[in-house]
Amino acid sequence: MVAVMGEGTGWTRRAALGLIPALGLAGCAGRSDDAGTAPLSMWAMSWEGDYSPFLMPRFTARTGIDVDVQSLPTTASHEKLLTAFAGGAMPDVLMLFNTWVKEFATIGALAPVTAAPLVADVFPALRASTRVGGHDYAVPWSVAPQVQFYRRDILAEAGYDAPPQDWAGWRTMARAIKRRRPDDYVFLMLLNWPTALVTMLSQAGAAMLRDHDTRGDFQTPEAREAFAYYVSLYTDGYAPMVLSTEMQDPVAAFATGYCSVWPSSPPTLKDFARRADLIPADKWSTARLPGPNGYGAVSGLSASLCVSTQTRRPREAWALVRHLTSVESELDYQRLIGNLPARTDAWGAPQLALPVLRPFAKQTRALSVTPNVIEWERIQIEIQSAAERVIRGVQTLDAALTALDERVDRLLAKRRALLNRGVIA
Amino acid sequence: MTRQERAGWLFAAPVLAIIALVFVLPTALALCLSVTDYSIYALADWSNLRFVGLGNFTDLLSTPLFWRALANTLIFAALGVPMAIGTSLFVALLLNDATVRWKPLWRVLLFAPYVTSIVATAVVWRFLFNQRFGLINRALGAIGVAPVDWLGNPHLSIPAILIFVTWKVFGYNMIVFTAALAAVPQDLMEAARLDGASRWARFRHVTLPAIGPTLLLATVMSVAGFLQIFAEPYVMTMGGPAQSTTTLLYFMFDEGFKWWNLGQASAVAFVLFVMTLAVTVVQTRLGRRREWL
Repeated sequence: MVAVMGEGTGWTRRAALGLIPALGLAGCAGRSDDAGTAPLSMWAMSWEGDYSPFLMPRFTARTGIDVDVQSLPTTASHEKLLTAFAGGAMPDVLMLFNTWVKEFATIGALAPVTAAPLVADVFPALRASTRVGGHDYAVPWSVAPQVQFYRRDILAEAGYDAPPQDWAGWRTMARAIKRRRPDDYVFLMLLNWPTALVTMLSQAGAAMLRDHDTRGDFQTPEAREAFAYYVSLYTDGYAPMVLSTEMQDPVAAFATGYCSVWPSSPPTLKDFARRADLIPADKWSTARLPGPNGYGAVSGLSASLCVSTQTRRPREAWALVRHLTSVESELDYQRLIGNLPARTDAWGAPQLALPVLRPFAKQTRALSVTPNVIEWERIQIEIQSAAERVIRGVQTLDAALTALDERVDRLLAKRRALLNRGVIA
Repeated sequence: MTRQERAGWLFAAPVLAIIALVFVLPTALALCLSVTDYSIYALADWSNLRFVGLGNFTDLLSTPLFWRALANTLIFAALGVPMAIGTSLFVALLLNDATVRWKPLWRVLLFAPYVTSIVATAVVWRFLFNQRFGLINRALGAIGVAPVDWLGNPHLSIPAILIFVTWKVFGYNMIVFTAALAAVPQDLMEAARLDGASRWARFRHVTLPAIGPTLLLATVMSVAGFLQIFAEPYVMTMGGPAQSTTTLLYFMFDEGFKWWNLGQASAVAFVLFVMTLAVTVVQTRLGRRREWL
C-alpha cells in the first residue's frame, strides 16, 4: 500500500522521513493567533458541567462570543486543574468548589474580582470562603445548604410525619424504622464522603483547627461527641458500611427503601427529578438536618466561578461569569438542575417557594463558616478516614483522634512555618 | 574509533538521546526534587522552596500511611506474583496438551482480558463482587456460603483485587509460556516417559529446566509490575476500605498529583525505584546460579 502510494505520487522514503521532524516542529508551534475567533473555554464539574451549555445560547446571542464547555469528572478534577495550572493550560473560566478557591488563589491561578457589584449580594458565608487577603477571587454560583431527604412513606409507617430536630430523636426514629425493616438501613452516608461528619462536627461546635488554623483540634469534647455519634450510627446498624465504589447507585438505594434518610444537598433534587419514574415526587420530602440540641448552622458551600490568570481575554471571561451568575441564569439553573441561587436578591422568586425548597431557604439563614486553609480539602479526607478506621474496628476512637491530630499537624507544618516567618497572614 | 564503531554509535544515538531525555533526565530531576520541600506553596512562590536534605525520607519513615502502603504493596506482590504466574503456567500447560482442540480459539479467549480496557473491566468486576447483587456471592450462596463483603472488608479487599488482576493479566504470560513450551524437546520427554518418569517428574526435570529462562523473565517482569500496582485499586476501591488497598504508587500519586507535594512524592518514587532494583538484582543472581541467564 505504502509502496504503491510512493510510486504514484513521486514520494520517496527519504522525503517521507524528512517530513516527520517538520510535523513535529509544526506541532510545537502552538496555538496560532486565533484569539479573536476561538470560543472561550470553560471547565465545570458535576451537573454544572453537563448543563452549562444550556445557559450559553443567550450569552452568545447577546455578545457574539462562543463558549466551549468541558465537563470534568468531579473525582479527578482537583488534580486536573492543578496540573493544568502548572502546565499553563488553564481554561478562561473555571468552576471551583468553594473550599478550593483559597488554594488556587494562593498559587496565583485566579484573577481577583474587580467589579464589586458582582459579589455584593451573595450570602456572606459563601463570600467569606472566596476572599483571600481582603480580595474576592471568585463569584459564588450557588448555595448548597445540607439538608436531609427522607422517604415520607417509610417514616409514616414508623409513626413520623417528619424527622426529629435533634440527634437523640434522630436515633430513636432510626430504631423505629430498623425494627420494621431489619434487612434495610436508615441513613445513606457513604463511608468515603466526608460531608455528613464534617457537618456534625460543626453543629456540635467543634472548631476542628486551632492556633490560627495551624494545628488539628480533634481531641475536644465537642469533636469527640460528634465522632462518637457518627460512628454509633454505623455500629448500631442504622447506616451501611459501604464506600461510593460499592454503592454505585445511591438514588436506587433510596428509591428501594434500602436507605430512607439521605443527608445531601441541592444536586440531589436533580437526581430525583431525572428519575421520577423510580422515585415519584410524593414519596419523598426534605427537612433541615438535626443538631445535638435542635437545628443549627450548617455549611452552605458549593461552587463558584473564577477567571484564570492565564486567560488572554479577561474582558470576555468576566462577561461570561457575569452572565452565568446573574439572577436570571441562577434561576434558570434552579429549574434545570436544582442548584439554589447564591444571590440573596434571587430568593424572592416564586419558583423558590416550593414546599421541598422551604428547608433549604430556612437553612440559608443559618450558614456556618468553614476553616479557610489551603489544606482543608485534604484534612476533610483525613477526618473521614479516621472515622472509617473506628467504624471498621481498626482503631479505637481515642487512638484515631490522637492520630488525626498528629496527621493534621503534619499537613499544616508548612503553613505553620510560613506563618511564623510572616510570609502568609 | 573504527569506522564500524562510529556507524554503530551513529545508529544508536537517536535512541540513546531519547532515553537520556525521557528517562535519565526526569529520574535525575526527581531525585533533585526529593531533597526539597516542593509543595503547593512552592508552586505559588518559588521563594517558599527549601532544601531539606533527607528530610522527606525521614518524614516518610514516620508516616503511618507510608508503612501501610508499603506493606500493602508487598502483600500484593507476594500473593499476586505466584497467583498470576501460576495461573499462566497452568493454563499454558493445559493448552499445550495434544488432546486439546480449537487451540487458537482458546488462546484468543484467554488473552482477551489482557487487551480490554481496565476501567471497563473494573466496573464489571465491581458488579461481580457486589455484596448484595454480585454474581460471585450468588454462586457462593448456591452452595450455602453466606454473602462475602469482598470490597468492603479490609481483610478481603486485597484478595478480591488480586482475583481481578490475575484474570486481567495472566493471558500475557500464558502466551509467552505457550511459546516456550513449544520448544521443550519431545525426544527427551519421550525418553523420560519410557524410563517410567511420572507426570510430575517429567514436569519437574524436563519441562521446567527448558522453560526456566522464560519463567525467570516472566517473574522479574511480574514482580516489577506488582510493585507498581496502581490502576486496579484506583478504579476498584480508590485505596479503601480503611486504606487497605492503598499501594506505594497510589500513595505517591495522591501526594504528588492530587496534593502537589512533589518533594514527598519524589522521595516515595526513589524508595520504589531502589526496591524494584534490589528485587531484580536478587532474582538475576538466582537465575545466574541456576545457569538460566
